[in-house]
Amino acid sequence: MKNKSNLFVVLTAAVFLFGLTIFGILSPDKEFSVSERRPLAAFPKITAEKVFSGRFSEEFEKYSLDNFPLRDGFRRVKALASYCVFGQKDNNGLYYADGYLSKLEYPEDLDSVKKATDRFLEIVETYADEESKVYFSVIPDKNYFLAEKNGYPAINYDKFIAYAKEGMSSAEYIDITDLLELDDYYRTDSHWRQERITDVAERLAEKMGAKLDSEYAVNKLSSDFYGVYSGQSALPVRPDELYCLEIEAIKNSTVYDAETDSSITVYNKENVFGKDPYEVFLHGSKSLLKIENPNSVTDKKLIVFRDSFANSLAPLLISGYSEITLVDIRYISPKLLERFMDFEGRDILFLYSTGVLNNSITIK
Amino acid sequence: MLFSGIPFLFYFLPLVLALYFAVPKKLKNSVLLFFSLVFYGWGEPKYLFLMLFSITQGYVFGLLIEKSRGKKSSKVFLSASVLVSLLLLSYCKYADFSIETFNSLTGLSVPLLKVALPIGISFYTFQILSYAVDVYRSVVPAQKNYIKLALYISMFPQLIAGPIVRYSDIVSQLDTRTHSLENAAYGIRRFVIGLSKKVLIANVLAELGSAFKESTQQSVLFFWLYAIACTLQIYFDFSGYSDMAIGLGRIFGFRFLENFDYPYISSSITQFWRRWHMSLGSWFRDYLYIPLGGNRVGKMRWLFNIFVVWFATGIWHGAAWNFVLWGLMYAVLLVNEKLWLLKRLNKSKVLSRIYTMFFVVIGFVIFDADTVDSAFGTLEHMFGFGGVSAVTGETLYYLKSFAVVLVIAIIGSTPLVKKLCQAVKNTKAGSFVLSVAEPICIVLLLTACTAYLVDGSFNPFLYFRF
Repeated sequence: MKNKSNLFVVLTAAVFLFGLTIFGILSPDKEFSVSERRPLAAFPKITAEKVFSGRFSEEFEKYSLDNFPLRDGFRRVKALASYCVFGQKDNNGLYYADGYLSKLEYPEDLDSVKKATDRFLEIVETYADEESKVYFSVIPDKNYFLAEKNGYPAINYDKFIAYAKEGMSSAEYIDITDLLELDDYYRTDSHWRQERITDVAERLAEKMGAKLDSEYAVNKLSSDFYGVYSGQSALPVRPDELYCLEIEAIKNSTVYDAETDSSITVYNKENVFGKDPYEVFLHGSKSLLKIENPNSVTDKKLIVFRDSFANSLAPLLISGYSEITLVDIRYISPKLLERFMDFEGRDILFLYSTGVLNNSITIK
Repeated sequence: MLFSGIPFLFYFLPLVLALYFAVPKKLKNSVLLFFSLVFYGWGEPKYLFLMLFSITQGYVFGLLIEKSRGKKSSKVFLSASVLVSLLLLSYCKYADFSIETFNSLTGLSVPLLKVALPIGISFYTFQILSYAVDVYRSVVPAQKNYIKLALYISMFPQLIAGPIVRYSDIVSQLDTRTHSLENAAYGIRRFVIGLSKKVLIANVLAELGSAFKESTQQSVLFFWLYAIACTLQIYFDFSGYSDMAIGLGRIFGFRFLENFDYPYISSSITQFWRRWHMSLGSWFRDYLYIPLGGNRVGKMRWLFNIFVVWFATGIWHGAAWNFVLWGLMYAVLLVNEKLWLLKRLNKSKVLSRIYTMFFVVIGFVIFDADTVDSAFGTLEHMFGFGGVSAVTGETLYYLKSFAVVLVIAIIGSTPLVKKLCQAVKNTKAGSFVLSVAEPICIVLLLTACTAYLVDGSFNPFLYFRF
């Protein structure tokens, strides 16, 4: 009996260790993790310098983690063990509550907010023409609706937004918090749902003196949208549905991408099957885009300094403008802007989510 | 290389096991030595030469001590070996600490040497020291086979975080040892338990420590939560490593002595140090305390001996004054117990344990601090003198989030589970259930540990810095 028990122990452990080792060696290496949306480490080059400096071992450690067989399955096991066995409230800062996945955004970093608003003011002082009207609006992240009521630590949003407003006191603040609710966000992604934010677009346009056409057609793009948090959390969650709103002004608009010096479409429907389906909206992260509405009845022009939340919002604003320029100063230094764009006769909107304002180290 | 890392578990270990058991008996020591050197050189190859130099000096002086036995030169060779070992350790570990202390006392600014600490140097230096002293004392004959001595010192299971294995304890196993199914099964059990202690408990508790250190809403409760988590983390981290070392040693046929015996159930500090890092405690007893005269001397000399030993114990753990303070705190507590408290502690099982754990927790707060000032700062906050709230929402969040792990850790630091398993094993039905459940549990724990490692970031063992 004792010998049998010993044999079982040795066999099971051996099968586990040797099995995974052989499986790992035989499996082809992957270059990209779709679930985590990041490139995976490749097998490091072996050089004497690398071996003796210890860099080879560091790079091999990363490679072995990134290319571990059944990596996503093991990550799921970890997430489930963390929540269900150890009763932890979050896993690597991600949590699941009321059917939504979210990331802890805590604590508030008011220095970061100040750094961001100082940079915004600098842009206004440097570039805005005297006639330009400057607006500012803060998009609350999902935690605004989810964290506190589920016992998660959260930013003090009132204090946070008031502080940001104060920092941008020369701009007209447009409050959109009362228009938003949890349902307006994807369950598995950090962003808001375009089909649910037409009222936000209306409010912004109205305050900025523009009039929008609001007869949208709703176009379903996917029933299997796994947002950024589903991959990061590794939890088994139901996918979101992905829609985009169509309207004549959007269909007729042209988008100029300054990065590639080429024209792109407002919606890139190929990205529905890509690594990040949210990139359907204006092709994802772009430093400088100019959307032109050739059939516009107005000559109003707008510049939006923004983060990725504006990717899905900007198309809804285009019917009220002849041109909207979108600038993401996380990817382009404000110092370079005069080379690529004209500020004359354009209103400026600073539209930022609390997540970016609280981590403004990403702003150049 | 880390035991709790994917390269070790799924590349190094399968390879060394396959080769070790494939080669004939006479080559097993060479295979183990070769892989031990690869294991040590994996992260910091340059320090391999330092270790090989230490081994070589231990080997040469060991032979010279034996050759000149009975002559005065024997003592000279021993002194030379001890001096070389201590000089290397002092240079690598204490040079910058000494310069910093000198600078702060004199106001001068002598530049630091910025010497990086070679991994495991404190452990292997102590093994070489004990070997040289034991050869001098004729406890063991000098090892004539370089490979065997090098293997004793560099054997990867215990190389970088102990236990501190005495040469006398494994000298016969270097020549002949048994490889059996029973040994392998026992080794796997111990290794998996140790790995789980490190990956599933210690690393998770480390996250609580990090959350505390990054917190902007610290509270008195959060300070205590941190102190308790830190105390448990250090135990699970270090005892987990010892379990893995003992387990791996057993797979290769070596029997290392136990290093921990449920220290957190101790009813006195005296007992705590008989249960905590036993190989270090007995090393200091045999190679420092007793040579100084132990307790067979006058009272003042005895007190001096105790303080020297605990100063050394403290500073062995790290070249910083908080470690010295930690060691000296135990000196005071042990003297106190030996003089009058021990008899009184025996009267109450509950109070004696509260007293012991109170000082153990305080000790690990000092141990974990970056400086003496920050240690006192933490203690001040723990006792409500830091001007922070008693409790905050953030503290309650982390308390809830880590409650299960803390409870598992507290229960796991007592012999309760072991006793329960033993009781079940003693019945026929229970024994059958356990024999079926055990392999399942091993696979589940290995799966969970692998999952945590694949998902997690780099978590080095705490004792590596020693």
